[in-house]
Amino acid sequence: MLRMSWSTFRDRWQVFVGAIITVCLGVALVQSSLLTLVSAATAKIPPGLSAGEARELRDGYDGAVALLGMTMGLAAFVAIFIVSSTFAFTVAQRRRDLALLRLTGASRRQVRTLLAGEALLLGTLGSGLGALIGVPVMRLHAAMLDSFGFVPSGFVGEWRSWILYVSAGTGIGIAVLGVLAASRRAAKVRPLEALREIGGAARVMTASRWVFGTFFLAGSIALIVLVPVLGGEAALPLSIFVSFTLVIAFTAFAPLVVPLVSLPFGLLFRGRLGVLAHANLRAGVRRSASTAAPIMVLVAFVVGMAGTMSTITEASRQEVTRDLRADLVLEADRPVRDQVAAVPGVSAISEEAPVIVDLGFDYGDDQLTYEGVDAVAVDPTGYARTHRVVPTAGDLADLRGATIALSPSYAPELHLRVGDTLPVRLDGGGPDKLRVVALLPDTLSGPFFLLPPDLMPGDGPRRYIVRAADPQTVAPRLAGLGEVSTATRWIEANADEQQRQSVDVMVALLGMAMLYTVIAMINAVVISASDRRGEFAAARVTGLTRGQVVRTALGEALAVVSIGLLLGTLAAAGTVIGIAFAIKDMIGISAAAPPWALLAAVALGATAVVAAASVLTTLSATRTPPIRLVAARE
Amino acid sequence: MVYVETQITHQLVDVPGAAAAAVELSGVTRVYGARSAAVRALDNVDIAFPAGSWTAVMGPSGSGKSTLLHCAAGLEQVTSGRVHVAGRDITNASDAELTKLRRTVMGFVFQSFNLIGSLTAEQNVAMPLRLAGQRPPRRVVRDVLASVGLADRARHRPGELSGGQQQRVAIARAMVTRPAVLFADEPTGALDTKSARTVLSLLRAMVDNGGQTIVMVTHDPAAAASADRVVFLGDGRVVDRLERPTTRQVAELLARWEG
Repeated sequence: MLRMSWSTFRDRWQVFVGAIITVCLGVALVQSSLLTLVSAATAKIPPGLSAGEARELRDGYDGAVALLGMTMGLAAFVAIFIVSSTFAFTVAQRRRDLALLRLTGASRRQVRTLLAGEALLLGTLGSGLGALIGVPVMRLHAAMLDSFGFVPSGFVGEWRSWILYVSAGTGIGIAVLGVLAASRRAAKVRPLEALREIGGAARVMTASRWVFGTFFLAGSIALIVLVPVLGGEAALPLSIFVSFTLVIAFTAFAPLVVPLVSLPFGLLFRGRLGVLAHANLRAGVRRSASTAAPIMVLVAFVVGMAGTMSTITEASRQEVTRDLRADLVLEADRPVRDQVAAVPGVSAISEEAPVIVDLGFDYGDDQLTYEGVDAVAVDPTGYARTHRVVPTAGDLADLRGATIALSPSYAPELHLRVGDTLPVRLDGGGPDKLRVVALLPDTLSGPFFLLPPDLMPGDGPRRYIVRAADPQTVAPRLAGLGEVSTATRWIEANADEQQRQSVDVMVALLGMAMLYTVIAMINAVVISASDRRGEFAAARVTGLTRGQVVRTALGEALAVVSIGLLLGTLAAAGTVIGIAFAIKDMIGISAAAPPWALLAAVALGATAVVAAASVLTTLSATRTPPIRLVAARE
Repeated sequence: MVYVETQITHQLVDVPGAAAAAVELSGVTRVYGARSAAVRALDNVDIAFPAGSWTAVMGPSGSGKSTLLHCAAGLEQVTSGRVHVAGRDITNASDAELTKLRRTVMGFVFQSFNLIGSLTAEQNVAMPLRLAGQRPPRRVVRDVLASVGLADRARHRPGELSGGQQQRVAIARAMVTRPAVLFADEPTGALDTKSARTVLSLLRAMVDNGGQTIVMVTHDPAAAASADRVVFLGDGRVVDRLERPTTRQVAELLARWEG
């Protein structure tokens, strides 16, 4: 059987090129991410740094680890997805060959072995190439993390020889997982199909598609409902997970959805060519579905993630706007409270000092977990006058001595209450326990922890939130003490900074997703055109010119792109709506920021790629004079 | 696999009358569709194909001749009735049992030559044996190819062969396992007269020299005339038979039943 796999592979290599590149890319990314991740996770903090610097460095490494982890997951998922749609497609194309094998005495198991063998070859080849390409990719990763400020410059992932086993395992694993569903389908091909055309296309919507589709759709809905419940830190990864499950659900239902969505195109497509294109679209459900799938994945991930991030940013901007009752913000590099208070026209001041404390949390695993958190030491009276603060329990006025006010949304599972005490480690000594005096409401933008003025460091940077009767006259008077901005401008600047950080992360993750899906799109177009030479020839013998055939195929391809865009947008909308509900539930702000510009860019890009691929492959498929192809049926 | 073969041989010997009919359909009905849309492709057909004989099945389009072939070969389930192949009841046989039978007892040849495009002629011919887990000596495969006159084409792929040559490779593939029954569906349908004659004489040799049984569906009176007898189907029933037919007799009967 393996020899048979080899000969199929050799014969149909064009079909597998896309899948090999995909596996290769997947392996390269997983290998490089994993090596870089291990290096970042085990990176030593050099001695001699201040606590703050050390923590910043550690935070950077943690950010890098999280990003690389997501990269790995996404790379593996998309690779499996693309390989499996390639195999699904080749199985559909080879039904007759497979039926013939069954007729000559192949058992179901042998058919599965044949496909698994092809996957093995593909996986081996892809892993080999991927392991090679992974080496330069690692440099790219390091450069990228450096430019995002996650790691100090000069950081490079360290090569470890065990990674080769991991890479081989990854590539072969991707290929074998990708072939699973297709080989099950292949084993169901009946020998009779070698003799006559039976409803191969008619029964695209199989029982397993129903089961899978329903399962993942129900799962997605459950997740969307769950996001608000789990909320907080889990919301972003969870909502990205929703795009995964929605994509799988839509792919499973594609044979059902594609003809449905293509209905309106019947109205759009006029004339002889239009009718033909529309008929092809509906008849070639599987073909349409497999071209639409990568576009759907692209839109779902890119627009879904961008939408999630911009929605979070927008919501936290609105939250700060809602909660800040001040006119001016002064950022100073030393305590200047008395000078600020002395400025005429200032009616209220809140002095705020950033403090990093290690808080000990009892997560129930026998020992305390110390986590470094960003807290703000404030003067409760001034803070209450310049912020809208509505503690859900306790009173902020009690924030004196060894106490803390916190938002339980930082760690909801701990069920912290007023009167609880938290072990603490402070830079330069101080109390070793803090009593909780107030619970702050859930928040996106923070602060999650407020400390009393007693714990304010003697010097260091300060932020002064100022209320003034006439801000325009007060602002210049404060200018000598530090950087002054109006509250509105300060909020905008903050939001922009947050946006910029999430854009960096997005570029890293989504650039990769885009690369993949572009390969998958071209792959799908090329595979389907290779199968249609006979059909194109028949159309030309019937009287269509070559140009008309190309135009019909193009019309079809464009319709498929629209279907993919539509379904992808739907999946993305599910993600964004989930996160928007979560936010509404958390902080009572309705914000949704759909990334329209990005959606438009993705739509244009996908259309251009598919249109170009379609025209080129149709031209190449119609190069042979049609009569030769019609005559030679086999 | 050796075990499987012994099992089948064992059954061949065990069932009385197995030598008399290689394939037997008793009271076979095949209905497509349900209720109002139901079509009776075969209507209570009783027919036996004696071992070592060649039977041509003819009839107008839609008469049920292809369905008859498919049911006899276990490729389609019958709605009612029973089917025996090589003395074995295959009416409700499982996929695994049918697979074993296809490896050992049955062979197939069709109008569209049904070769695997990525394999050479030689590899195509060796395929059934390989699928059965055997490693056929190259000589065996070459001999079979030589017997269909394609010794020099062993390393060609189907795309490099003419239609007649492809059909001969398909026949070689069906011969290599020495199946008790060969099912053929329009084996000459896509061939020119000369190639058709070659193919028919090859089939004749299988029956005369190998003692094999052939069940062949055809439209071509010349092809039917090469068989030992002709069975005519109409509306899912056997309507006429002809022993030792000539081309002329077949053409006359065809004209009567189709006209």
